[in-house]
Amino acid sequence: MNIGKELNYQWQVNVLGRSALRLNRILMARKAGKGQLGKSRLLTPPLNTSIWTKELIGQHYLRGRYANSHGKVAWVTSGAPIEFLKALDFYLLYPENHGALCGAARAAEGLSIEAEKAGYSRDICSYARTDIGAMLSGKTPVGRLPKPDLLLACTNICQTVLHWYRVLAHHFQVPLILIDTPFIYTEMTDHAVAFVKAQLEEAIIVAEKVAGKPLDPRRFKEVTRLSMLASELWLELLRRNRHRPAPISVFDQFTQMAPIVEMRGEASTVDLYAAMLKEVDQRIEQGIGVVPEERLRLLWDNLPVWYRLRYLAEFLGAHGAVIVASTYTNAWAELGPQMDPEHPMESMARTYMYPILNRGTGEKLATMRQMIQDYHLDGAILHSDRSCKPYSVGQMDQRDRLMRQDDLPALLLEADHNDPRSYSEEQVANRLTAFMEMLEAA
Amino acid sequence: MQTAAVRIPGRIENILSWKEQGGGIAAVFPIHYPRELLRAFGYLPVEVWGPPVVESVSSAAHVQPYVCSIVRNGLSFLQSGGLELADILLVPHACDSLQGLGSLLLDFIHPRQPTLTLYLPRGRRESDLSFLAQELHALYRRLAEIHGDSPTEPELMSSIRREEAADASLAQLHRQRSRLPLSDLAFYQLIRSREYLPAERFSQLASEALDQAGPITERGIPLLLSGIVPEPMALLNLIPELGGWVAADDLASCGRRLYPAGTSQDPFLRMAERIIHAPPDPTRGSSIESRHQHLLSLAAESGARGVVFHDVKFCEPELFDLPDLRRQLAESGLPSLLLEVDLNDPLSHQLHTRLQAFLEMIV
Ligand code: SF4
Ligand code: SF4
Repeated sequence: MNIGKELNYQWQVNVLGRSALRLNRILMARKAGKGQLGKSRLLTPPLNTSIWTKELIGQHYLRGRYANSHGKVAWVTSGAPIEFLKALDFYLLYPENHGALCGAARAAEGLSIEAEKAGYSRDICSYARTDIGAMLSGKTPVGRLPKPDLLLACTNICQTVLHWYRVLAHHFQVPLILIDTPFIYTEMTDHAVAFVKAQLEEAIIVAEKVAGKPLDPRRFKEVTRLSMLASELWLELLRRNRHRPAPISVFDQFTQMAPIVEMRGEASTVDLYAAMLKEVDQRIEQGIGVVPEERLRLLWDNLPVWYRLRYLAEFLGAHGAVIVASTYTNAWAELGPQMDPEHPMESMARTYMYPILNRGTGEKLATMRQMIQDYHLDGAILHSDRSCKPYSVGQMDQRDRLMRQDDLPALLLEADHNDPRSYSEEQVANRLTAFMEMLEAA
Repeated sequence: MQTAAVRIPGRIENILSWKEQGGGIAAVFPIHYPRELLRAFGYLPVEVWGPPVVESVSSAAHVQPYVCSIVRNGLSFLQSGGLELADILLVPHACDSLQGLGSLLLDFIHPRQPTLTLYLPRGRRESDLSFLAQELHALYRRLAEIHGDSPTEPELMSSIRREEAADASLAQLHRQRSRLPLSDLAFYQLIRSREYLPAERFSQLASEALDQAGPITERGIPLLLSGIVPEPMALLNLIPELGGWVAADDLASCGRRLYPAGTSQDPFLRMAERIIHAPPDPTRGSSIESRHQHLLSLAAESGARGVVFHDVKFCEPELFDLPDLRRQLAESGLPSLLLEVDLNDPLSHQLHTRLQAFLEMIV
């Protein structure tokens, strides 16, 4: 270890950076106290704990900025089994989360254009374009991204990530671990589970080599336990929306979910969600909902439209409509009950084959139906995301069945999660208005 | 269908004659699958690459317009009765879109025929091989359930050997193309008959064509054609018209399926070996570098002076690799051109002009 670099890391991250982020948190808390945080005529103020989330994410990217001088770095896909990497002390960067952050910060379009200039087609996933653009140009709203020593791609969300990570591996010339999780059309077969387990065993060997140390089984169990706890708390948090009025909108969940994705396996994530749950419970006790008067409760399917979260929340809020549940935020809640810290390898193989995107289109409809029942929903908005085929293919039939068999109004909304060029506000507004009128008349 | 050298039975003619003999038909979507396994059960695999120019209204009720035309057309074709002669459907997993198609058929569309799926692993590791062998075993069991009877191991082995012989002939045709008295179009009509002819019939045609091999003839500027499928086939007339010649290919439907013979005496492992050891293909997880090396060696063997990437719009597996591949090929002195097509569109004037300019550049 280079002592000078390590001292600089400690100074920048743990002294300067941490203090600056803490100060920012205090200032934001003051603002929140005065009711000036996220002021909106139509929506109740954001959760106080959201300030903490912001601080954690800030810390995460700050650590990332200096991570190359401190230890090993892995870039991983959002649904990847990361517990063994965390236990080996890798700093983990999630390009998809970084893409989302760029989307919310309205930086994705510029970065996509950088990728397109280099020959990447507008027809590939806009997360990938955003991140490839950041990789090629060095531009990012978080200052700097660390270079990877290792890449981990898990196909449990899509095959796109494999192609994307092949590009990264080619660019950075570092090892790529592939965890190939056979798609579950109808049932999870034993040979598929054995295949995933065998790959995890091979992956650990590669990761140990890059980390330069062996995996400590106790630490592995502990990280798995923390992942499980965070996921369970996240599940509880989502379930609180069964109350009427719903205490936390899905648009808020979209921003509050960053730690469950990119800081899974950390104690601070568990603490954050425990505190958030407490605050949500207080809201329930006080009868505080997302909008002053909740009239319509809706489901959201697919990724968010990152660059128009607030607009959509307020548009719906104006009609007393709240997005109460979403298949997307639910995906990380489903992991917890599958995990078993006592048998991390066996449970990991099953857990990481289980995400909604690795199961059939009929299973997604079943999940939606369960949510509609559990959360007492009045309608569904299915975001047909031009960039995400695995999530979007199937929506036309899912919508059709919801409408015909469940008598539930459902809207297919064309957009793109990160590329505003594939989004027409006028068209969205018209469609949402018509949908609201239909729901209100029902 | 008559090429300069051999008469190729048409698709329908072939299907009807197979059925008359009491055989079944398996309609198979792209890309990789074990022909030998289907044949061992008496099903003749007939592949569905699109097909081009079909009405797309029926699929529009199920898949969004940003899904590739291979999937959209395949579904439309199925829904408009184009696969009525098929007894079973097989949808191998190649990409997110085909995954979606398989799932839609199983969960929502419920075609008349049983729908089978097959997951293809994305690596070349021992674990991939062993998983694929088991996945093929699972497909075997499913076929046995449907068929009510199942082939013995020796029967399976003999089916494998028959397909291996046909694949060896196919590889031979690819290697000998410059000696064959066939135009680009005729050559691809011949090799693409492997998509629907019984292996033994294809081997016979291949040997008839190979018998006519003569000295190497100059036909135009040699090109390497990469992409998914040479559709619309009019492209194969346009290339020679503009002074080019397809000297080799890296097409998912053609050159990427030159399966080598397996070595294992276990039929399932042997079938898995054949697929795993096929030439590089992004849908099977090949690295960009392995694809680059493969393209370079194809160009070196064939004398190709440039690469035409002829891709289907919205095909992510292809699109991701292109910038790096094209840059590296250019650095290796091999220029390239990208043409994106929708199977429903005729060859555009713009495509014509770009191809012409490319050929003029590399002449
Ligand atoms: S948005 Fe969809 S296609 Fe893109 S990485 Fe995520 S799951 Fe894959
Ligand atoms: S053309 Fe590409 S996207 Fe379409 S089915 Fe083939 S591999 Fe998949």
